[in-house]
Amino acid sequence: MFIKENFKMALDSIFANKMRSFLTMLGIIIGIASVIAILAVGNGAAKEITGTFSDLGATTINLTANDSDDSNAALEQEDLVVLKDSIEEIQYISPNQQISGTASTEMDSRQAVVSYGTPDLQYLSQTMSSNLIHGRYFNQIDFDENNSVVVIDTDGAEALFGRTDVVGETLSVNITQTRLDLRIVGVVEGSFADMQGAFDADQIPLFMAMPQSTVGQQVPQLAGMNSVIIEVEDTEQIEPISNQIVRLLELRNDAVGENIYNARNFLQALDQVNNVLSLFINFIAAVAGIALLVGGIGVMNIMLVSVTERTREIGTRKALGATTKTILIQFLMEAVILSLIGGMIGLTLGILLSNVIASALNIVPIYTLGSVGLVLAFSTAVGVFFGIYPARKAAKLTPIDALRFE
Amino acid sequence: MIEITDIEKIYRLGGETIKALDKVTLSIKEGEFTSIMGPSGSGKSTLMNILGLLDRFDNGKYMLNGTDVTELSDDQLAGVRNKEIGFVFQSFNLMARMNVLENVMLPLVYAKVPADERKKRATEALEKVGLGDRLYHLTNEISGGQKQRVAIARSIVNRPSVLMADEPTGNLDSKTTEDIMRIFQDLNDEGTTIVMVTHEPEMAAYTKRIVHFRDGQITEDETVTPKQLSKAEVD
Repeated sequence: MFIKENFKMALDSIFANKMRSFLTMLGIIIGIASVIAILAVGNGAAKEITGTFSDLGATTINLTANDSDDSNAALEQEDLVVLKDSIEEIQYISPNQQISGTASTEMDSRQAVVSYGTPDLQYLSQTMSSNLIHGRYFNQIDFDENNSVVVIDTDGAEALFGRTDVVGETLSVNITQTRLDLRIVGVVEGSFADMQGAFDADQIPLFMAMPQSTVGQQVPQLAGMNSVIIEVEDTEQIEPISNQIVRLLELRNDAVGENIYNARNFLQALDQVNNVLSLFINFIAAVAGIALLVGGIGVMNIMLVSVTERTREIGTRKALGATTKTILIQFLMEAVILSLIGGMIGLTLGILLSNVIASALNIVPIYTLGSVGLVLAFSTAVGVFFGIYPARKAAKLTPIDALRFE
Repeated sequence: MIEITDIEKIYRLGGETIKALDKVTLSIKEGEFTSIMGPSGSGKSTLMNILGLLDRFDNGKYMLNGTDVTELSDDQLAGVRNKEIGFVFQSFNLMARMNVLENVMLPLVYAKVPADERKKRATEALEKVGLGDRLYHLTNEISGGQKQRVAIARSIVNRPSVLMADEPTGNLDSKTTEDIMRIFQDLNDEGTTIVMVTHEPEMAAYTKRIVHFRDGQITEDETVTPKQLSKAEVD
């Protein structure tokens, strides 16, 4: 029996009973449409969230030290040096502490946000640009010798000096009632200049960065480091490196198993989000699965009706030379095509639906070749699974019983 | 060509056994136009179904064209039906959703004949029964007589060695009946072997041999001179 003839026969029979065929397909249409919509929206949401987390730092590890017995537990300067020396994947490591204060020159004074850390801070700071306009960033020598140096942004330079090239000038900063006299060694691009439209220029604080060692020396209560930012080269390595960091610190400080050090990366947060998301997707998929099951039973039901209605046709075909296999394939093909058409309609509907949902949620739906393949495979499988019984029933009829059927 | 020996067909209804065929022995030669005639319930249709390999029998032996078909499997029987036997049913049994040409091509589809060859042979068969101008009509658009002519075209399209007709004119009026019988006679004149089941003596009169059947047994087997129809043009 030729595929083409079978295909045409199946289509003829499906289109001969349009309403009935459509109602039969409805379960499959609903099932497939929801699977497609949920997968597309779910994948879109997952990508959106992953993207957000990656933007926040797919290669960033946030290391904290916290001891319930010892509130003074902190990371030592030496810890940082050892970490950077022993784990070569660590690109940058620095505390990223911030404190607000008042910066003043003879000319003017204004609110300031002071970031302090190692020289790596220039690559890790989330408040300051790393784009130097004048001079240099504070370096390892400044750090090691507790030099009173500072890097400020161009917005701040403009506000305090009325110009940007202020390398060599001095300013003073009051933090926690301590006055620090600092020499400006570099000016970076102002990161917040474009916020001037939204804020009054006077209200935008001055951003500055300086060595943590200098701050620690002059303001002892700020000496402890309990939060350090670590940047690794490759997001792939982030989990093993996080574990390695904790292990190394525990061994070095004789604190194995005490749960003092905690290295968190975006993966943990992402995992939580993905867990919730996949729970949701699985739940909807289960509901869609039930719809498909019901749809499949509908296909089986209608095929059984069809076999009964067409018993004499089956008898005639057998008289004309159709074999058991030919009849089996004919009816199986009809069931498969019925559910495949349902699958196609469901696919179209699912794409429409996911676009509507996605635009309401403001995300981009993602269609993978896999999910389309899944739909085709699944509807074929539903057709075969639920079509095989009616088709076998038709195929096993003896010609004489089928011909005599009234 | 057809040799059946001591064929028995037994039906069991509750505790009772009914012999629909009781040791029937019959021989039909190539080129014959035989009618099997008997009242309803005589077993003539059962015999026809067995001769057409549509039904199985309980005892006896059936040789078709020198081949023992007694032990063939269902699918082998389907193949033999396809190649050796053409069927004409009382209620036509055409496929409602197919056009005339597609209906006639169906046996060729099962015989795995290529598409263009199918169309050529089906068209020839339809021209033979005078329906060369109705190829693309749907079967619900033509008359009963035309339907039966489509069925005859379908039965001869695969060039079978024997044509089995079961009350072929039972659903037709007398004028159409004559048309159909004339087509059978013409086919027989061209060498087609035909076996026809009927309960009407008027129909049997068109054939060359009448096998009388009653209570599952042959009661009389006579060779007759067939009633000749005027060789007027078909339609």
